Amino acid sequence: MSSGEHAHHWEVSWAPLVATVGILFLVPLSFSTYFVYGNPLLSYIFMGVGTPLLLAGIAKWVAEGHTQKPLIAGLSPSALPIFIISEVFIFLGLFTAYWTMRLSADTWPPAGTPAHMNLVLPLIMTVILVTSSITYHVAEAKFDAGNKGGFKFWLFLSILLGAIFLGCTLYEYSHLIHQNFVPSTNAYSTAFFSITGFHASHVLVGLGIFLAVLFAALAGKTNKYFIFSAGVYWHFVDVVWFFVVTQIYYW
Amino acid sequence: MSAQSHGFSLKEWIFTTDHKRIGILYLIGSVAAFAVAGIMALLIRVEQSSLGPTVFGSIEDAGNHYNTFLYFHGAAMILGFLIPGLTGFAANYFLPLMIGAKDVAFPRINALSVWLFWAGIVMALLTFLVPDGPDVMWTGYPPYSIKTGANTAFYVFTVHLMGFASILGAVNFLVTVIYMRAPGMGWNQLNMFVWSTVTAFIIQLVFVPVLAAAVTMLLFDKYLGTNFFNPDLGGDVLLYQNLFWFYSHPAVYVILLPALGILFEIVSTMSKNPIFNYKAAVYGGMWGIVLISGEVWVHHLYVSGMPNWIRIGQMVSTLLISVPVGLLTISLFGTLFRGAITYNVSMTYAVSCLFLFLIGGLTGIPLAMTALDLHLSETAFVHAHFHYIMGIFAAFSVFAAVYHWFPKMTGKIANERTGKIGFWFNFIGVNVTFIPLFKIGVEGMPRRYFDYQMFPQFETYHMIAMVGALLIAVGIAITILNWIMSAAKGERAPENPWNSASLEWTHCPSPPGPGNFPKDVVVTADWTPYDYGRKK
Repeated sequence: MSSGEHAHHWEVSWAPLVATVGILFLVPLSFSTYFVYGNPLLSYIFMGVGTPLLLAGIAKWVAEGHTQKPLIAGLSPSALPIFIISEVFIFLGLFTAYWTMRLSADTWPPAGTPAHMNLVLPLIMTVILVTSSITYHVAEAKFDAGNKGGFKFWLFLSILLGAIFLGCTLYEYSHLIHQNFVPSTNAYSTAFFSITGFHASHVLVGLGIFLAVLFAALAGKTNKYFIFSAGVYWHFVDVVWFFVVTQIYYW
Repeated sequence: MSAQSHGFSLKEWIFTTDHKRIGILYLIGSVAAFAVAGIMALLIRVEQSSLGPTVFGSIEDAGNHYNTFLYFHGAAMILGFLIPGLTGFAANYFLPLMIGAKDVAFPRINALSVWLFWAGIVMALLTFLVPDGPDVMWTGYPPYSIKTGANTAFYVFTVHLMGFASILGAVNFLVTVIYMRAPGMGWNQLNMFVWSTVTAFIIQLVFVPVLAAAVTMLLFDKYLGTNFFNPDLGGDVLLYQNLFWFYSHPAVYVILLPALGILFEIVSTMSKNPIFNYKAAVYGGMWGIVLISGEVWVHHLYVSGMPNWIRIGQMVSTLLISVPVGLLTISLFGTLFRGAITYNVSMTYAVSCLFLFLIGGLTGIPLAMTALDLHLSETAFVHAHFHYIMGIFAAFSVFAAVYHWFPKMTGKIANERTGKIGFWFNFIGVNVTFIPLFKIGVEGMPRRYFDYQMFPQFETYHMIAMVGALLIAVGIAITILNWIMSAAKGERAPENPWNSASLEWTHCPSPPGPGNFPKDVVVTADWTPYDYGRKK
């Protein structure tokens, strides 16, 4: 096999395979054993197997992303918006379900919805999330200015705000569940928990990405394209929240 | 991390991030899915070859087994073989070579894609290890999929994993084509296969997420008690059908486009003709399909209930699809016209695809017509139609691709004689199987039923169809064995056995090593991958 004057070796990385095995155990297998086969013990074992594998895969991946030189650097800021098109359509799918149910209903909100939904909390959450977008923007500006300390501080602040946002979601959920408003209650609860939950899962992923950036920065490693892309993703999650708030809470 | 290349190393395969090896991993996974799903198809044909339960025991057992096999056949053929065979295997191996790139833009994400696809294969195969494997077809319509005692979760997760693989693949390949073309390579110098893959990936990117949302709602409804498809509490059953076909009709084009792209490559190379009407085929044909693909899904719901004016509108938009498809067909035939044609195995498959495409396409017209479809819907006519256009046509183009690029992938020539024997078994087999189904479909044979006690007159036709299925089984066995034997012991291939003008043949060794090209590829403004010495 001739390989000429270019690369002389096959590129390898164990991160993708290990992460995939982790995902397989963590989501499909543990969900199925718990909800389909009623075997919580096996489900927890699968989660116990899947979680470290997934985390190890991600950690290795991030480490390689900070040390290896790609064929062409700087493509991720172009790739992420393409991926976001896909994300937009999955949210559109969920919103379509909500609109279909809502516009065909005789009365809204349907029976079983608490008389007074808390409309102050989503306002506070909006402020928190928008602020976190701003703080991350400041973090990026500090990074561009070469201020590593400032970058880490503002990044940490963004993570904190994101975590508070998720805390608010948990508070809200527990409050609603206490009032017997659960996903199975009616069409509104179905849409409410699915859409806010799916958005919250995106916040969680965004926080995970931020943590990956932070851990690498604490170890003295940065990748400007990674930092930029993380911000684009976070702003996207922020924009989606406006649709969630206006459609789910205030309409 | 890097490793030395001395002989076979398992580590260099399972941890690989090289697009060619990932392509081979896709090929192995999709041929495995094809083989198992093919055995299911054979069992289905045998079961139907006579009235009453034939091979699966008592009526009840037979019905349940039949449903599980039908599920696996559909899901594995579409999600596990056709889509990954074309957009996974073929796109991975050949697209970067055709544009002169050393790899894809994100090699690790590429590896993640292929392993997510394999995880989807694992979820699909688990069907046979659990007592309650999914029995919901590949469509998973509620309320049945929610009320059934079988395991709908495996179906949902199979879709999730393969869908995620597709979306990541779409992002990866779109960025690759935009940014990694060889210096000097303009948009009108791309191979037809590259264009067909780009357009297919755009469809994947936009529509797969909607399918993912639909099946997620199904999962939540069944296992977490939500009410998306529960009319008692404000849900809507038809919502699922709409979301499902919003993806799954365009999915037909995800399969069709790369299949056509492969045919263009083979037809042009083996006829030694440039592509006829290149720009019309690319911008009118392929991009036309992308534009219209999202507005035709409702024709799958003609009998599900809707206002008449929507039926009319959908009839028009569905028929409109034949305009871009027609442009592509004209272009294919024009490329053959007055060509110096050589019929090797891949070209034989390619030309047979034109025939299959014609039958499949023409039988689609009555199905687009609302008035006719109300009668034909849910009959064996539909079954035969989409098997011609989507199943067989696309499968044959995958076989053609393997034969055409076999010397590129292995450095060996696949045995021509054995290949042609396999071809004739396959080609005669598919027509013997599906032509009878057109006839009994028009006469009222319902599709999907495991038995047909009320239609004893159709038994002979089902028997003929089974004979056809057996012929296909022989043909496929010959084909796959031919690949394995030729890869192991085949004759050494010359560097450019078909005298192609495309980059993957002219500029890189067979099989290509790491980094693909011995020297960086630069193309000139008058270069084309179809330069066969004729006027454009």
